[in-house]
Amino acid sequence: MRNGGHIREEELELLALGGLPDDEAAAVQAHVAACGECAKKLAESRGSAALLGFTAKQERPAGTVKAELMARVRSSSEREEHYAWPMWRQNKGDGETAEYVTSRRKNGWLNWVLAPAAAALALVSLALSWQNRRVSEALEKQRLATETLLHDRERTSKLVAVLAAGDTVTVKLAPTGETVGSGVVKYNGRMGMVAYSVQLPVASAGKSYQMWLIPVKGVPISAGMMEKGAPSLGPVWMAEVPANTETKGFAITLEPAGGMPQPTGPKVLAGAS
Amino acid sequence: MATAGTSGETTSDWSLLARIAQRDEVALSALYDRYSALVFSTAKRILHGTGEAEEILQDIFYQVWETAERFDPERGSLAGWLLVTARNRAISKLRRKRQSADELDENGVSLTLEIEARAAQNVLLDKVRSVMQSLPDGQREALECAYFEGMSHTEIAEKTGQPLGTVKTRIRSAMETLKKVLR
Repeated sequence: MRNGGHIREEELELLALGGLPDDEAAAVQAHVAACGECAKKLAESRGSAALLGFTAKQERPAGTVKAELMARVRSSSEREEHYAWPMWRQNKGDGETAEYVTSRRKNGWLNWVLAPAAAALALVSLALSWQNRRVSEALEKQRLATETLLHDRERTSKLVAVLAAGDTVTVKLAPTGETVGSGVVKYNGRMGMVAYSVQLPVASAGKSYQMWLIPVKGVPISAGMMEKGAPSLGPVWMAEVPANTETKGFAITLEPAGGMPQPTGPKVLAGAS
Repeated sequence: MATAGTSGETTSDWSLLARIAQRDEVALSALYDRYSALVFSTAKRILHGTGEAEEILQDIFYQVWETAERFDPERGSLAGWLLVTARNRAISKLRRKRQSADELDENGVSLTLEIEARAAQNVLLDKVRSVMQSLPDGQREALECAYFEGMSHTEIAEKTGQPLGTVKTRIRSAMETLKKVLR
């Protein structure tokens, strides 16, 4: 199937025609999803295959199909308007209002009383709806703030526990290359917790700093990313690592944003336990 | 909501699509008039019935209405997408398969020819039919089995009694000939 790392053109043509069995099609599609060159060739093959549509006997569909399509489109547009102005649409479309309109013709004098009342009711409903939304938004903000506070409290408790424990070790990090910076790591193997504070230049676009625990045996273990959204408490970053890991030290590398399973970028800071 | 229409023969697909993204019903109507026969005929050729072909036709244009802003003119042809999507959905119905595996992304068909004008469609129609008629029977049969019946190369080999390698070669040769139309 492969030709120099790419899917052979005949396989792409078969996929475009729908002539590949499902399992083979899935394998080719998986490659194409990650390969721009093959995706381009597949698109071209699909273009050629699309021409086969011209060999079908050309017939115009019934006019009702277009009418139904346009009605469906209009209905979706109305739903959007309905969503934007719920009170207006409900009042406009519901049965009671329709009944009111009917009775209005029969009882002209009553309209003078009911029409302003209905308008006032609509305004009150609109105001209440607006107020209700504001209250809901405020409650949601409050809930998020509470959750953040609870998370911060939990992190604070963990950080205090790490800092206060007698078996927590401190590792100082120093530059290993041209990057200027420094850092301090507090590691408690029993708890499987790492807390660290680091001074480093802002990472370049698309890159992030990643902390690694260097175990005595085995490969480095990620101890978290220093990027927005990662667990932190102010300037202190925190990460959980497998408990009771014997460590030789810690190091920070510059990796693609989001991190890597193993170090791939340059080491900027390091320190031995 | 709708804006004034323009000539369906001269406005480009992408101009229409941009207007559809702005919820312009007239633009959708023009695009429908331009391609509905091609889409419908492709689906009907596969399904051999009008009802399901009409359903596919309507669903595809409704999808255009709903997702017009997602189409990227840099990455593919709208006409090609309409045709291939019609084919794939019809095959899915024919074989009662789930659509997800066959569904294309919005920009996955590259068709370099301009077929926005009715006259251009007619010219291409004649050209493709002429090319298909010029193909040896075995090549044409293999192409049609794959495209209009959704058969895999293995199924085509079983149906025609030809070795798998022969089927692949026939399809490859036929596709090469078809590609010449695009050049």
